[in-house]
Amino acid sequence: MTVIQVKELTKVFKIPKKEPGLGGAVKGLFRPQYENKTAVDGINFKVEAGEIVGYIGVNGAGKSTTIKMLTGVLMPTSGSVRVLKRDPHRQRVENAREIGVVFGQRTQLWWDLALIESLNLIAKIYNVHPVKYRLALNKFTETLELGELLKTPVRNMSLGQKMRSELAAALIHEPRVVYLDEPTIGLDLIVKERIRDFIKAECIAKGMTVILTTHDLGDIEELCQRVIIIDDGRIIYDGPIETIKKKFGKFREITFETVEDVKALDLPEGAQMIPAEDHKVQIRFDRTISTASKVAGMVMNQIEVRDFSLSEPELSDIVRQIYNGALEREAR
Amino acid sequence: MTRYLNLYWYFLIQRLKVLMEYRANFILGASSTIVWQASSIAAVWVVMQKVSNLNGWNYDEVLLIYGLVTLSKSINHMFADNLWTLGRQYIRSGGFDRFLVRPIDPLFHLLADRFCQDGIGNFLVGMTLVIKSSIDLGIDWTPPRLLMLIVGVVSGGLIFIALNLITCVTAFWIVDSVPITRLVFDNHLFAQYPLSIYPKVINILLTWIIPYGFASFYPASYVLNRAAGDIAWLGPFVAALLLFLGYRFWQFGLKYYSGTGT
Amino acid sequence: MQTARRDLSIYGAFIGMMPKVFMAYQVWFWVGLVLNIISMAILVYFWRAIYNDTGTISGLGLNQTLTYILLAFIFMPLTSIDVVWEIGSNLREGTIIHHLLRPINFQGMNYAQSLGILGMRLLLQLPMAVVAVLLFGLRFPADLSTWLAFLVSALLGFTVMFFFNWFLACLTFYTTEIWGLGVLIEGMSFFLSGSLVPLVMMPEWIRTIVLSIPFAQALAVPVSLLTGITPLTEAPRVWLVQVLWILGMWLASSLFFKVAVRKITVQGG
Repeated sequence: MTVIQVKELTKVFKIPKKEPGLGGAVKGLFRPQYENKTAVDGINFKVEAGEIVGYIGVNGAGKSTTIKMLTGVLMPTSGSVRVLKRDPHRQRVENAREIGVVFGQRTQLWWDLALIESLNLIAKIYNVHPVKYRLALNKFTETLELGELLKTPVRNMSLGQKMRSELAAALIHEPRVVYLDEPTIGLDLIVKERIRDFIKAECIAKGMTVILTTHDLGDIEELCQRVIIIDDGRIIYDGPIETIKKKFGKFREITFETVEDVKALDLPEGAQMIPAEDHKVQIRFDRTISTASKVAGMVMNQIEVRDFSLSEPELSDIVRQIYNGALEREAR
Repeated sequence: MTRYLNLYWYFLIQRLKVLMEYRANFILGASSTIVWQASSIAAVWVVMQKVSNLNGWNYDEVLLIYGLVTLSKSINHMFADNLWTLGRQYIRSGGFDRFLVRPIDPLFHLLADRFCQDGIGNFLVGMTLVIKSSIDLGIDWTPPRLLMLIVGVVSGGLIFIALNLITCVTAFWIVDSVPITRLVFDNHLFAQYPLSIYPKVINILLTWIIPYGFASFYPASYVLNRAAGDIAWLGPFVAALLLFLGYRFWQFGLKYYSGTGT
Repeated sequence: MQTARRDLSIYGAFIGMMPKVFMAYQVWFWVGLVLNIISMAILVYFWRAIYNDTGTISGLGLNQTLTYILLAFIFMPLTSIDVVWEIGSNLREGTIIHHLLRPINFQGMNYAQSLGILGMRLLLQLPMAVVAVLLFGLRFPADLSTWLAFLVSALLGFTVMFFFNWFLACLTFYTTEIWGLGVLIEGMSFFLSGSLVPLVMMPEWIRTIVLSIPFAQALAVPVSLLTGITPLTEAPRVWLVQVLWILGMWLASSLFFKVAVRKITVQGG
C-alpha cells in the first residue's frame, strides 16, 4: 500500500531582505522588505510500505524542509502530503503516534536521565503496551548492545553510543514510518556499519517504511533500494539505487597537490582528469577498471607531487552530473 | 485527561530523580529563594518596628499579603518555570520540533519537562508567612475565609502562569521572550505590599491589566474583613479569562511557527 | 586605494551587524530601565506610606530616607564584583597558571579590570538616576566636599568588596557547588548592604551584624556620607575603618590564594 503520498508539494518562505550596511539595517527595522524563497517546488512522489528511500541533496536543496512537512512540523504552502492516509500537520497527534524520527545531531533523550529512564518516559508518552515495551527493550538491548548503556545518562555518552540509544528511542514504539536524518554523521566506520546493520535488520523485519536523509553515500549504498535526489527544491532523480551505483558508486577521486599547474596528463584507462583549483590535479577513476596505485604511480611519474589524498566523489558533484545528464538526455 | 495527569506524574518523578542526584544544588536552589525572601521580610520587619502600620495595615497583615503572593508565585515557579526557556532553549536550538513530533500536546510537554525545585523554597516561605500571620492576627478561619484562601492562591497561581504564558508565546516571533516576560512579571513586586499605598494608576494596573492584585491584596482584604475584599471572588474568573487568552495566543503562535519554520 | 575601499566595506559590514547586536542590547537596556523603575517606585511608595505624616524616624526625615534609599539603589553596582568569580573556575581548571606566568601582577590586573567594569556599570545607571530625579523628586547633594568624601569612601568600599570576593573565589576551589553560594550571597546582599533600610533604623544587634560583613562598607557607608546621614566630620573615621577592612581582607585573600595556587602547582589541580 502507499504509505506516503506527496502531490505538488510546495513551500515558500518569506525571507526578510537584508540590505547591507547601517542604513540598510535601520531600513530593515522599520519597513522590512520580504522576498520569496521557494524551498520546495511542487514535488511529487509516492512511497510504498516497506521501502527504504534515500532522500538526498546538497545543503539548502530542500531536504529538511520536505522532512519537516512530512513529519507535520511545517505546514505546506500548497500541494498535499499524506502519510498513512493522514495529513501530518492537521492530524498531528495521530500521525505522531505512528512515526519515529531521528534528528541527526539533536537527541530526543533527556540529558540527565539514564537511558532506561528516557526510554521508559518515551514509552509512556507513546502509550506503548508494557509487554510490547519489555520485548522491544530486550530486543534492542541485544541488537544495539545497550547493556551497560541503559544506566548511562546521555551527557556521558560518546557519539556512537548516543546514536545507538537514539535509534532505540525512535523505534521503541514500533512506528510504521521512520525518518532518519543524518543517522551516521560523525561516526567512525565500525559504528556506522553496526548502525546500518541494525537499521537493515530492524526496519526490514518489521516492514517499516524508512526515509533516510544523509550525505554519506555509504549509507545510501548499503541501505536504500531507491533514491530521490532533490536539488533547488525540485526532484531531479527518483529511481533505483542501482543506477546511481552504476554511475557513481565505483568512482574514486585522487587530488594531487602539485608544484606547477598541470594542463594534461597521461592516464590509465578508466581515469580522467576533472577540473580543479590552481596547483591541484583531480583525477576521477573507475575502480572496477583501474586502481589508485596505478593512477597515482602514473601521475607521479610525470609531475612533481607535494601531497595527495583519496576520496569518494562528493554529493554535489553527483548532483551536478545527474542534473547535466538529465538535461543531456532530454536534449537528445 | 487522566492520561495527562498520569504522564505528568511520571515526568515529575523523573525530574525529581535527577534533582536528587544534585542534592547539594537542590538544597541550595530551594534555600537561595528562601534567603532572598527572608532578606526582604527582615527589612520590612525592621522598618515596621519603628512605624506600626503601613497605610492602615499592621506588620502581620502585611505579612499575610506578602505570603499570599509568594504562595501564588511558587505555583508558577514550580510548575511553569519552563515557559521562560521556550525561546532560548527550545526554539533557538530547534528542540521544539521534537515536541511537535510526539503524540502529546506541545504545551503540556513544555510544562511537564521541567519541575523547578527552587519554587519549593518560595512555597515554604509563603506557607510560613501565611501561617505565622494568621496565628498572630488570631484569624478565625471560617469556611468562606478558608475557601478564599484556597481560591485566592490557586487562581493567583494561575494568573501568574497565564501572564507568563502570554508573554512567552512571543518567543515564536522574537525567540528571546525573556525581557518581555520580565517586564510583566516584575510587576508582581508591587503586589507584595498593600495596593492602597500606591497611586490610582498602579492600582488599576495591578487589578485590571496585570491582575496580580488577585493573588495577594484582594484575598487578604477579604480574609481581614476589609472593604476591598469583595472583589476577591472575581479572582478565578480573571484567571480563567487570562488562561483562555493565553492558550489561544499559544495556538496562534504555534500556527505561525509551523507556517514559517525556524 | 583598493585595500582602503575593501577595508571600508568590511568595516561597513561590521557596522551593519551592529544594529542587530545593538538591538538585542537595546531591548535589555530599556527593559532593564523599566524593571528598575518598578523597583524604585515600590521603594518610594513604601517609604512614603511608612512615614505617612510622621516627622522623623530614627532622626531621619522622609526626604532624607528617600534620598538614601534611592541613592543606595542607584549605586548598587558598588557591591557587585563578578569578574573575580572567574578565578574560581580558573583555579579549578588550572588555567590560572597561564595568568600567573605573565609578567603582570595578577591581582592588580584583576582590580583594574573590575574598576573599569564598575565605571561602565555606574555609567549605565545614569538613565535610572534621571528617572529618579524626574519622577520621584530625587535631589542629589550639591556640595562638592560631600561628593569627594563619597568618592573616596566608595573607592575604599569597592576595594573591600574586591578582596572579599577574591577570598570567596578561592573558597570555590575547595567546594564545587559554588554557584549556590554565590546566589545565597547575592540574595542576602540586598539587605546586608544596608540598601533596603538605612543603618540607623536597624536595631542595635542587627546593625552590629550588618557592619561586621563587608557589604555595608561598599554601599551603606559611602551612601550615608553622600546623603549627609553621616556628617562630613565623621569622614576620616569612616575611611579609616574601611582601610582597616581592606587590610584585613587583603591579608586573608592573599593567603588563601597562595595556598590554593600552591595546591594546584603541587598537585596539578
